[in-house]
Amino acid sequence: MPTAADGAVGPAPLAPAPEHPGIVVSGVRRHFGAVRAVDGVDLVARRGAVTALIGPNGSGKTTLLLVLAGLLVPDAGTVRIAGHDPVTAGLTTRALTGWMPDAFGTWDSLTAREVLTTVGAAYRLPAARAAARAAELLDLVHLTDLADRPAHVLSRGQKQRLGLARALVHDPQVLLLDEPASGLDPRSRVDLRVLVRDLAAQGKTILVSSHVLVELDEMADDAVFVSAGRTVAAESLAAASAARRPWRLRALSQSGLAGWLTAAGVPWRPEGGTANGFAPPPDLLDSPGSLVVDLDGEAGAADLLRAAVGAGVPVTSLAPASGALEATYLALEEERR
Amino acid sequence: MTTTTAPPVGPTPTDPRQAVDPLPGAGSTWSVSWHGVRTVATLELRQRVRSTRWIVSLVVFGLLVGGVSVLTWAFARQVDDAAWTVGPTMFGFIAFFVLFLGLLVSPTLSATAINGDRAAGTLATLQVTLLSALEIVLGKLLAAWLASLAFLAVSLPFILWAFATGNTSPLAVLTTVLLLAVMLAVVCAMGLGFSALTARTAGSAVLSYVAVASLSVLSLIIFGLSVPLVSGIETVQVYEEDWEAWEREGNEYPLDGEPMIPCTWVEREQYVSHTERTWWLLAINPFVIVADAAPDAVRPRDDYYGSFDPLALIRQGVRTARLGPPETFNYCWRELEMTGQGFGAGTSDDGRPLSPVWPWGLSVNLLLGAAGVLFATHRLRIPQRTLPRGTRVA
Ligand SMILES: Nc1ncnc2c1ncn2[C@@H]1O[C@H](COP(=O)(O)OP(=O)(O)O)[C@@H](O)[C@H]1O
Ligand SMILES: [Mg+2]
Repeated sequence: MPTAADGAVGPAPLAPAPEHPGIVVSGVRRHFGAVRAVDGVDLVARRGAVTALIGPNGSGKTTLLLVLAGLLVPDAGTVRIAGHDPVTAGLTTRALTGWMPDAFGTWDSLTAREVLTTVGAAYRLPAARAAARAAELLDLVHLTDLADRPAHVLSRGQKQRLGLARALVHDPQVLLLDEPASGLDPRSRVDLRVLVRDLAAQGKTILVSSHVLVELDEMADDAVFVSAGRTVAAESLAAASAARRPWRLRALSQSGLAGWLTAAGVPWRPEGGTANGFAPPPDLLDSPGSLVVDLDGEAGAADLLRAAVGAGVPVTSLAPASGALEATYLALEEERR
Repeated sequence: MTTTTAPPVGPTPTDPRQAVDPLPGAGSTWSVSWHGVRTVATLELRQRVRSTRWIVSLVVFGLLVGGVSVLTWAFARQVDDAAWTVGPTMFGFIAFFVLFLGLLVSPTLSATAINGDRAAGTLATLQVTLLSALEIVLGKLLAAWLASLAFLAVSLPFILWAFATGNTSPLAVLTTVLLLAVMLAVVCAMGLGFSALTARTAGSAVLSYVAVASLSVLSLIIFGLSVPLVSGIETVQVYEEDWEAWEREGNEYPLDGEPMIPCTWVEREQYVSHTERTWWLLAINPFVIVADAAPDAVRPRDDYYGSFDPLALIRQGVRTARLGPPETFNYCWRELEMTGQGFGAGTSDDGRPLSPVWPWGLSVNLLLGAAGVLFATHRLRIPQRTLPRGTRVA
């Protein structure tokens, strides 16, 4: 039955109204029996940007994406996909949304190409158009070689890539990716990142859930942290990168480096140590080694590097010891304890 | 953050959104398009039926039906006293055997179609597309039905062999094959309903077989067991030969010809079965539906008795059961013989007209099938408010 809202939107609204952000979620809750899987999530995913949805296992990321994909009704709160409500205008939002599930099942007797043409037909693309789109996407995810072999011969990573292609068949404006990088080899991860950035550059809204934070550092513009079903923080990657976090400083002599840092009044610690200032030096090496220091973003790093080189310390590298998101994530974990 | 070097993933050459069906309401729960149903059916057939096992099962099915057909042929030639009944006997047995095997095979196709897909994680990927829930269900039903029709097609040569043996009406072939096909569709639809009901595929398979067994065996057993419940000794009006009056009048048994015994009305205590209260238990039986809908065998003019046509026996039995006991019993054989009552097709032993029961049974079965489809569609509508116990969406 076409609902009132479905009828009211009519044929036109498939193109998102430009003033709407891609995804707006406010106060969404969803429980399963006694389990509060999503318990008050707020987030905004901008058009033309990649938003990371970060949280530990069981924090409700998948459940939230199911609500966004129009599969589950939220118990409370509102969701807008390009301005439309997935509950009352389900069809419109489904036409706009591409969803890549985390538990990836596939019709394993079908070939990769048939999977894509079938999904194309399910999105009511004409057969010729679906076939052309399938070929295009197989090429995009580097599965052309395997296109005509049954999907059950694909490896996990290859299936994951097929799943991504499947989510893109109808050229959705909003893309929901649930742990897209799991099972991917490094090459495929880079491809995924490039592809996702490219889609964002075309003005699509992309929400990526993951707990592989290093991945997201490179990919995301914004990050939303969820924990136990709640939004606990939301920030931009730029802000996260500027925040104070550990950096790894490496020199030709580890003990020499420690001496200089102590003299310069910069708190340091060995790899894996805790940040409690000038702890008595453990057995440091005279050979090349590294120490960890906490710095305020790129600017702080540049200052330290200039000082060290000026003092003649044989520095070989200075790099963040953890990703920007990982630092924020761990800080949030810390707070909750 | 990164430069964009990937090949353009944008829409080329035309915007696919233009191709997305712009009809408002298309794809919402109850809308149906042939395109959508065909898409799902093709997917199902490719996914479930594309394996050599299916060819093997078809061959095994064909061999079984063929074997039984040959046995029936040999049996009918031995047992039937009149040559003309061989064809109808074969036809009845083969039709029943095909129905029996079909009822066994059909649930395996549909009874795991929904919960199996859910377990494999492929159901939700279909649900989020523009397909409506009803299109998904009808597509799965169509696929399961087409697969069971393949089994019917394998058995068709043997049904035609029985027909070619003679004396079966061509209309009987038509109604039988049509009703076999319809009954298989009903079983597929019920299986689909069960596969939407339970989370585990084993559960829905068992429920489907229980449903098939209830319709075809259990109903028969209950009918049999309930006969004493609807029967008893009753006082009934009987029109019978009055030998006492005949003797009182001083008549003697004639040496040639039949005695002319007058008939009279008396009240008698008699055991009567009110099967008109339980006949529906027989009518819902798929075997009865097939038997009842087939027209009578073509009898040669000179041959009146001697039939072992199983379909005709069932037809007569069920239709008579539906009538129940007559209001009065006529045991006045002489008069009956004179009026020609009590014989011939289309009447019960006591001469009352019989009417077909299969429209009732077929309607009940079609309703059960429709219920399966509606329930499955209801369970597949998204977004979902409640999840069946023990299932995840994806
Ligand atoms: N269908 C379901 N029935 C019961 N509990 C569920 C269901 N789906 C998810 N949960 C529970 O909800 C919580 C959140 O799950 P999920 O959204 O999958 O987390 P994430 O994707 O962040 O790992 C978990 O505790 C999970 O066990
Ligand atoms: Mg998850």
